[in-house]
Amino acid sequence: MSVREWMVGLSAGEKHFIQGGIAQDLRADGRKRLTYRPIYVETGVIPQADGSAKVKMGATEVIASVKLDLARPNPSQPGKGKVSLFVSCSATAGPMFEGRGSEELSAELSVALQRCLLGGKSGAGAAFDPSCLSIVDGKLCWDAYIDGLVVSADGNLLDALGAAIKAALINTRVPVANVPAGASLDEDPDVDLSSQETTRIDTSGVPVIVTLTKVGRHYIVDATSEEESQMSSAVSVSINKERRICGLTKRGGAGLDPSIILDMISVASHVSEQLMNKLDSEIAAAEADEQM
Amino acid sequence: MADLRLLRMRCYWRLAVFRTGAVNAASGSAYAEIGDTKVIVSVFGPRESKKAMMYSDIGRLNCNVSYTTFATPVRGQGSDNKEFSSMLHKALEGAIILDSFPKTTVDVFALVLESGGSDLPVVISCASVALADAGIMMYDLVASVSVSCLGKNLVIDPVLEEESYQDGSLMISSMPSRDEVTQLTITGEWSTAKIHEAMMLCLDACSKLGKIMRSCLKEAALASQE
Repeated sequence: MSVREWMVGLSAGEKHFIQGGIAQDLRADGRKRLTYRPIYVETGVIPQADGSAKVKMGATEVIASVKLDLARPNPSQPGKGKVSLFVSCSATAGPMFEGRGSEELSAELSVALQRCLLGGKSGAGAAFDPSCLSIVDGKLCWDAYIDGLVVSADGNLLDALGAAIKAALINTRVPVANVPAGASLDEDPDVDLSSQETTRIDTSGVPVIVTLTKVGRHYIVDATSEEESQMSSAVSVSINKERRICGLTKRGGAGLDPSIILDMISVASHVSEQLMNKLDSEIAAAEADEQM
Repeated sequence: MADLRLLRMRCYWRLAVFRTGAVNAASGSAYAEIGDTKVIVSVFGPRESKKAMMYSDIGRLNCNVSYTTFATPVRGQGSDNKEFSSMLHKALEGAIILDSFPKTTVDVFALVLESGGSDLPVVISCASVALADAGIMMYDLVASVSVSCLGKNLVIDPVLEEESYQDGSLMISSMPSRDEVTQLTITGEWSTAKIHEAMMLCLDACSKLGKIMRSCLKEAALASQE
């Protein structure tokens, strides 16, 4: 990520302070290398969407929404709905995102999230099974549009967006579509959506994304944008409950030794367990709040 | 197809051919052919950065990957791969000594003539040969290889058909003589052990591919001396 280009300049002293703190396992805000900032989750923040969530990690704030549309399934995958995922960065988050300024970052975040959440070509490793979006095989399905929005950027956008999308998917209610018996589905389908019934998406397989940022010889989680400006490279790993890796993206120019990458993967896998538990309890609390 | 694949497992790699000097107008260029995948890359510069660019005391790298309309079985499908340009950039930037051309820009333009699978790895490898041909200072050549995961099997250097059925894929770009990874992406579901296995497989293939690329450059240099 070209964080360095839109970073506010740091003095040599500040840079030294950040790097020295990381080397001594005491970061500028008092955290240890593998400690996250407090995470706040709020679900159901967008009434127009079928599922939505807002996640705050320190000064980083992101919103994710899931919107479902009736559509005709792709002939090559008749029993599945289409899932698409995009991220945009609002200019309200900072002047560097104005106009086309956010294009590069948005595209990079979108691709990284697609890689982490949508799985391989055959659908293996996807966050959820898109066959739960099917209504009538080969005729009618829901298409899911997952949108992420960066409201405020202070580093670690990918992990925050991953968490927000996970919360939004848990929050998603899929309306039960009643297709009248004998209705022709070849033309404009006549579907009864009046029932208040909804189903949920099975979200047990949704991974969390852990980004390890390498500063000097050490890696840190949940880097702030100041810390990100000092990184040599970063590896984002998405890991599910079974601790299997569902996607990986490397950022930053510097090359990495293969053994370091493998070590980073195992550290990420270890950290993911804590993050997963923390996030699950936050989301459950947010869901309970919303229902009251 | 399984039998054929086994046969290829043994010979491992589709036939790889690199040639430099494909485009006369460019500072450096290369043509690569690995199996059915055919790619041409031109390098322009270092030349003056665009006026709108901010001052930079290191050089800039500008990458663009495009497909011909006839590259894919269905016409114009190649435009699906919008992220390739930025992935090419990330794979190369760690290898180029950007300090060696301050204030200027090097443009790398890649064109996929025929898409036959493993397109991005071929583009990355070819681009690094083209950069070397243009005389841009680099720490090392960048060789790139991908593996597909099909069921329980790992398939190195997948062809288009294998890519369309894959459960997951792993792509590594590395600098073979420095043993450094410049870019790594993984999709699909993997266990740590499988990643380890796939990475070792790829790195081994990268060093072999690096040798082929190096010998191509040597040949070109010898030919120009004569």
